[in-house]
Amino acid sequence: MRKMLMVTTIGLMAACFAVSTAQAETYKLAISLAITGPTSDAGAPYAKGVEDYVKYANDEKMLGDDMIEVLIRDDQYKTDVTKRNFEEFLDEGIPIYLNYSTGSTLALKKDFEEEKIATIPASFHAGNLVDSNYIFLPIQSYSNQVIALSEYVVENSKGGVPKVAMFIHPSAFGRGPVEDTKGAVEKGLKMDIVEVVEHGKDLDTTATLQRLMSKGVQYIICHTVQSPVAVLLKDAERLGIVASSFGEEGKITFLGAHYTGGNDLIDLAPTASENFYWTTGYTLTSEPGPGTDLQLKIAKKYGRDDKTANSHNYTNGMMVTQVAIESMRRAKEHGKEINKETLYDELNAMNGDNAYDPLTTTGPVTFSKDDHEGVDKLQIYRVTDGVFKSVGEPFVPKYVVKN
Amino acid sequence: MATNRWLATGNFFTTYKEEQRIFLTNIDRLCLWLLIAALYAWPFFVETSNKGMLVLDNILIAMVAILGLNLVTGFAGLISIGHAAFVGVGAYTTALIASGLGTDHVFLTHAWPLVIIISGLVGAVFGGIVGLPALRLKHLYLAIATLSFQMIFQWVINFSKLFNQGQTMSVGRVFWLTGKIGRKDHYLFWYFAVLTIVVISGFLVRNLLRTRYGRCLVAVRDNDRAADAMGMHPGFTKVYAFALAGFFAGIAGSLHCYLYRGAGIESFTLHQSISYLAMAIVGGLGTLSGSFFGPAAIRLLDLGVENLSSWATNFLPSTMNIATALRPLTFGLVIVLFLMFEPRGIANWWRIIKSYFKLWPFKY
Repeated sequence: MRKMLMVTTIGLMAACFAVSTAQAETYKLAISLAITGPTSDAGAPYAKGVEDYVKYANDEKMLGDDMIEVLIRDDQYKTDVTKRNFEEFLDEGIPIYLNYSTGSTLALKKDFEEEKIATIPASFHAGNLVDSNYIFLPIQSYSNQVIALSEYVVENSKGGVPKVAMFIHPSAFGRGPVEDTKGAVEKGLKMDIVEVVEHGKDLDTTATLQRLMSKGVQYIICHTVQSPVAVLLKDAERLGIVASSFGEEGKITFLGAHYTGGNDLIDLAPTASENFYWTTGYTLTSEPGPGTDLQLKIAKKYGRDDKTANSHNYTNGMMVTQVAIESMRRAKEHGKEINKETLYDELNAMNGDNAYDPLTTTGPVTFSKDDHEGVDKLQIYRVTDGVFKSVGEPFVPKYVVKN
Repeated sequence: MATNRWLATGNFFTTYKEEQRIFLTNIDRLCLWLLIAALYAWPFFVETSNKGMLVLDNILIAMVAILGLNLVTGFAGLISIGHAAFVGVGAYTTALIASGLGTDHVFLTHAWPLVIIISGLVGAVFGGIVGLPALRLKHLYLAIATLSFQMIFQWVINFSKLFNQGQTMSVGRVFWLTGKIGRKDHYLFWYFAVLTIVVISGFLVRNLLRTRYGRCLVAVRDNDRAADAMGMHPGFTKVYAFALAGFFAGIAGSLHCYLYRGAGIESFTLHQSISYLAMAIVGGLGTLSGSFFGPAAIRLLDLGVENLSSWATNFLPSTMNIATALRPLTFGLVIVLFLMFEPRGIANWWRIIKSYFKLWPFKY
């Protein structure tokens, strides 16, 4: 009798184990980004952020017994390669996709629509959202970031209409916010855009700076990547025209959108970047909080060096993964199958009481059918004694542009 | 001439006409037809992923482009550093038709062979125009003239709203007898389409080289004064060599646009032009078979190094970004090694292999 009971128990346990094993699913999350080549200084930590958060989610059993497998492919910042990687991911049956560059996001937009696959890129280009239903920007678009900086300039500038120059990347990525900022000025933002400078690969911007000074420019809003900004700041420092306080008379105050700042800028221009104003929707490890604690804990757990652990690009990669995994978790919680359709629905439902706070951002992530820009609040940071420190509270720009 | 044309050995020519035959022996003919049949048949037996098919399509499109580049640089001896711009002209012609008529206009989706030919012809016109300096310029000076075209092309595309400032201009999906070609069959469909164009282009070039116009190219390359003395027109020959190169490049560009369902500037930059030149050199300048070997070798090398770089990022220090340097280093090294040790390219290895089998079992 006892023997029979034991056999039955073992049999039942084995059956339970078999059932639970059979029920555990593995979902694939994929990203194609520049780990090598242009912008790999941002892409490499971004990829590590994605990789680590997936490991963390699996270790913490965020999806219960279900696992997430992450597919990370290097595209060297080439759209052709991104396309190839994306095709591979589709063959792998991914339910959600993380993309990277502006160029490839725009190029694959039609594919995202056809495949009906929710995509979260690292590019915050407002044009990504035009004629698109499936692209979700993690934070405010570049246009709104530049508008936020412009609003900050207008509100904090003393005496008359501030004279502003824009220093932009010579591409769709750089040009995107120019028209939207001009639109905000037309709508009543009291600011004079004196000149829009598209930088090349110049190693000296003395002439540009002197020209802008002669035109009475007080503020330069940059929307490009870090290295040209570092060149600009170093030249400005050499000319002695960097404002030591916001709007200092006879000097220039420099400001920049998301990809101009971060610790890499401080590394490139250690002293010249002092008093540089920067906006982003992410929390920074120089301003500790629950989000940065989580970030540093994850980075430490998976053996990342200090540079990676403190990189805002690492935060960025982590955050998009948090959003993707949260959509999976919610779909599962609602008893839905995890697929392209349900994840898309879950992302669109991330608003109101269902807004998601990943802690790594300056506000909650809110998406809806009509709003595919995640974190609405932007934080202004300023380089003080070699680190970025918060200036005021996170805010939503008034002249915000919605696509 | 050997009485039995199935024999590989013992062939000799008694007339110039015999020397101009496409196939030396019936074995050559049979092998080529078998190869073509195999290229058409294998997708029905081997399942290939979309990613794999995309790689193959890319190689085939590059073959069409290199057929053109080989005509102007290999056969006519005129260095062109702006070939990607000619490819871009073809791609943007297709993209402009799409933006003008609508991405899913019937002309674009149903009459796509016609669109491809039109793109080729526009490429030829631009080729002819860019070839005009060849009437006066030679060697490095001509190379710089083609480089200028590349720069002008990039500038125009990057700054003109007509071309969406270099951002991707979309093109819709095409139709075939079976209906609209969806994603599932997209790459397979274009494999067959591009393969057909490669085969036709290959025969066109082979036949061109048998004509006086083809021989003119080689004569002008070897000595344009002597060619002039023989009654050829070196100036016209150079311009038409550029026009022909532009035609094939235009076709390749249009195919690229259809394959990727859009045209964006980053596929037609100077870097891509250098890459095309490398394909022609590695394949074998002035050889028809080199136009097929070169693109395959460089594209596969690219893919290999890409995987190597990706793998290397796992252990190489990120601050030095060595993985990024692997690709240009390998690329440069391959070109230098070929120029030093095998300037006649892979086509020469193919010639040696063929000679071996032709003489087999004898050594010479």
